[in-house]
Amino acid sequence: MLQVKSLTKTFGGFKAVNGANLDVKKGEIIAVIGPNGAGKTTLFNLITGILKPDSGQVFFKNEDITGLPPYIVCKKRISRSFQVVNVFQRRTVFENVQVSVLARENKTWNLFTPSKKLVIEETNRILESVGLIDKGDDISAALSHGDRKVLEIAMALGGNPEFLILDEPTAGMAAEETDRCIDLIKQLSEKMGLTILFCEHDMELVFSISDRIMVMVRGSTIIQGSCEEVRCNEAVQDAYLGGSDVCLM
Amino acid sequence: MVTKGRIGAYAGIIFLLALPLFFPRFYVYIASLILLYGLLATSLNFVLGFGGIYQFHHCVFYGAGAYGAALMLTKTGFSPWVGFIVGPLVAALLSLILGLICIRLSKLYFGMLQISLGSLVWAVIYRWYSLTGGDDGIHGISVPDMIASANGAYYFALIVTGLSFFIIFKILKSPFGSVLQGIRDNPIRSEMIGVNVKRHQLAALVISGFFAGVAGVLFVVVDTTVFPDMLFWTLSMEVMIMCLLGGWFTFMGPILGAALIVLLRTFISTYTVYWALFLGIVLMIIIFFLPNGVLGYFQEKFRPKKLVKG
Amino acid sequence: MDFIYTFLSPGVLSQIFVGLSRTVILFIVASGLSLILGVLRIPNVFHGSLYMIGAFMAYTICSVVGGDAGFWLALIGAPIGVGLVSLATERGLFQYLYEREHIMLILFTFAISLVFGDLVKIVWGAEYKSVPVPQVFQGFVPLFGGLPFPRYNMFLLFMGPVVAIALWFLVNKTKIGKISQAAAVDREMVGAVGINVSWVFATVFVIGCFLAGLGGALVAPTVSVTLGMDHSLIIEAFLIVIMGGLGNIWGALLGALIFGLTQSLGILIWPQFGIVFPYLAVIVVLLFRPTGLLKSTW
Repeated sequence: MLQVKSLTKTFGGFKAVNGANLDVKKGEIIAVIGPNGAGKTTLFNLITGILKPDSGQVFFKNEDITGLPPYIVCKKRISRSFQVVNVFQRRTVFENVQVSVLARENKTWNLFTPSKKLVIEETNRILESVGLIDKGDDISAALSHGDRKVLEIAMALGGNPEFLILDEPTAGMAAEETDRCIDLIKQLSEKMGLTILFCEHDMELVFSISDRIMVMVRGSTIIQGSCEEVRCNEAVQDAYLGGSDVCLM
Repeated sequence: MVTKGRIGAYAGIIFLLALPLFFPRFYVYIASLILLYGLLATSLNFVLGFGGIYQFHHCVFYGAGAYGAALMLTKTGFSPWVGFIVGPLVAALLSLILGLICIRLSKLYFGMLQISLGSLVWAVIYRWYSLTGGDDGIHGISVPDMIASANGAYYFALIVTGLSFFIIFKILKSPFGSVLQGIRDNPIRSEMIGVNVKRHQLAALVISGFFAGVAGVLFVVVDTTVFPDMLFWTLSMEVMIMCLLGGWFTFMGPILGAALIVLLRTFISTYTVYWALFLGIVLMIIIFFLPNGVLGYFQEKFRPKKLVKG
Repeated sequence: MDFIYTFLSPGVLSQIFVGLSRTVILFIVASGLSLILGVLRIPNVFHGSLYMIGAFMAYTICSVVGGDAGFWLALIGAPIGVGLVSLATERGLFQYLYEREHIMLILFTFAISLVFGDLVKIVWGAEYKSVPVPQVFQGFVPLFGGLPFPRYNMFLLFMGPVVAIALWFLVNKTKIGKISQAAAVDREMVGAVGINVSWVFATVFVIGCFLAGLGGALVAPTVSVTLGMDHSLIIEAFLIVIMGGLGNIWGALLGALIFGLTQSLGILIWPQFGIVFPYLAVIVVLLFRPTGLLKSTW
């Protein structure tokens, strides 16, 4: 479904992403792992068009989407959440998701119909599915950190994606919030049939839900394979754990 | 609650309609000024408070609307009503042109480029004596008899601003308005949900410029003059102060702010020539203690759940 | 060849020199503004007011002391006076507002400029004031085929490089300069190594404002000192800073050169709309280099 071929991005001499390769099949859950600064977020920014790559290509459903601006990438039904919480702070939870649905349905140029009459059911359905329906009228800046991360995912769902990119979905969450989030990701994959690409530092989470794992170190792809392959790979252990004796998991 | 608000609104409308019956001419004139500055500030707040665009030199469009109408009225034989429509269209067109140039930049850089382009427009109008009357501006513009009297001008201003406020309010509540506020809060996120941010911002700028032009036309009707200071950057700062004073993130805030500033200027300047000193001090106090403006402060105070942190 | 000769006629050359002396004033004021923008990130609208206050202070000192001594005293005294005013403002008000949004800071500094404008009106009145050109600089020097060029403008042309070199020395060779450069990039880091960032900022702010005062004192003998002289200058100074790159002193110099020269040559080419050319220059520059000609510290 998504192929990334030797993608490269340099910031003033620093190679943030250097020849990254990735192959995602429909319906899979793929994790990207790697030490801090390995270029995971940059890779996501390159795929979604927030950054333009220096070289390399991104294909989505066999179509070249390299360097397209984010709003067009989104129209191809790729959505994402952000690592740092990126919601519309002054708007309510409901409005946050609603805007996303409106944008997908190309209603953003409607100047005179009141928003409150549009796409209510769809928005409520999404809020329901992520468990935020009770908090619809809260200003999103007032939400707890965990709820805002979930709202992130809900906004991504507003675009009715086939392909969902989650940048550290559980970062900073409390234990029970993390469990809720894992359930949510599993549901999205199983019930809605979404293909999911995510990165995460929580190894327990990574190994428990992903079908395959891609390992990035210093901007390059070291290996992409099943959990077992990755776990037993020496290069991964060297690079990732700095050659220590600790075994992954 | 709802009925109370509604009764208040009706009382307000009746008060505004009956105002010329009870107040002398001068106050009617002041009321018209409040209305048109209220519209000017609201049109700015549309892009500044709701759109998050740093439009530092908004008065360019106010002046463009005013000069557009004034020139149509004095230099051509068209009906004045045509001039009243041409004014805002000129402002909207100018807004489109300036917007196209500035939109690539963000925040402070946008604002600074916008100020320099605006100053360019000011300089052209200031210097083009043969067309604009230069420094002196144009005086004694004759408007249709129906709206030539103080009361006529007031009612005209009341109807036009009322209609404009209604339209702006509708737009803010529409999907376009939602998207605009989303862009203010987070442009990158907006792109990522499929919104072409720059194009929406540009459209917002054109709408905002149009209504600033409407305010400019109203000034021509109320005051029958135009002069280059209408496009000078200090006036733009004053309009931003109106928005800040009332509150960025509220619809009524800028109107309240405009009323405060116009009243302050009118009444304080009868007591002292140092009204700017007074305004400056008031403004400093507001920024120090009420960064969300007067209305914003009350909203925050009485709805603590909704706005815990900014 | 003929064309070049006509273009470089003595008249044009002397116009260029007039433009250059204007450039010096613009540079001195804009470099102060740029310094404050670069390190403190404050778009200081009352910088223009300080320039005006500098000119008025120079007037007072000159009329009290009199003669050439008065001029030299004003050249030192007026900027110091302005520096003290700015120190009071920074310690009294600004140090509490550094974290606010730019738009708030702009409006806040505009509020201060309103207050300063009226204070100047109260202290000095609304009439035009004139400051005499000191004896040493009266008269003209012959230039290019005998065209007279005012001596005082020659002095200004001399002052420009002096200020530029002094600033370069201050920023690159002194401790406070190095600290402020670091603070411009990462103020938390500087605070973490035990430097009192608050006072670093105050010092930079006062130095920037000192330059505004110096610009005012230098310009005083060439113009009529009056209320409102700050209004057009502050916009010009902002444009220069933006054109050169925020916080870049050499950018300010380059910007001032472009601004001053397009202004004076513009008047020569099309007298009625000469005022338009520098604005056009800014627009052209920003179209091609949206963040200014030289590297910005932001």
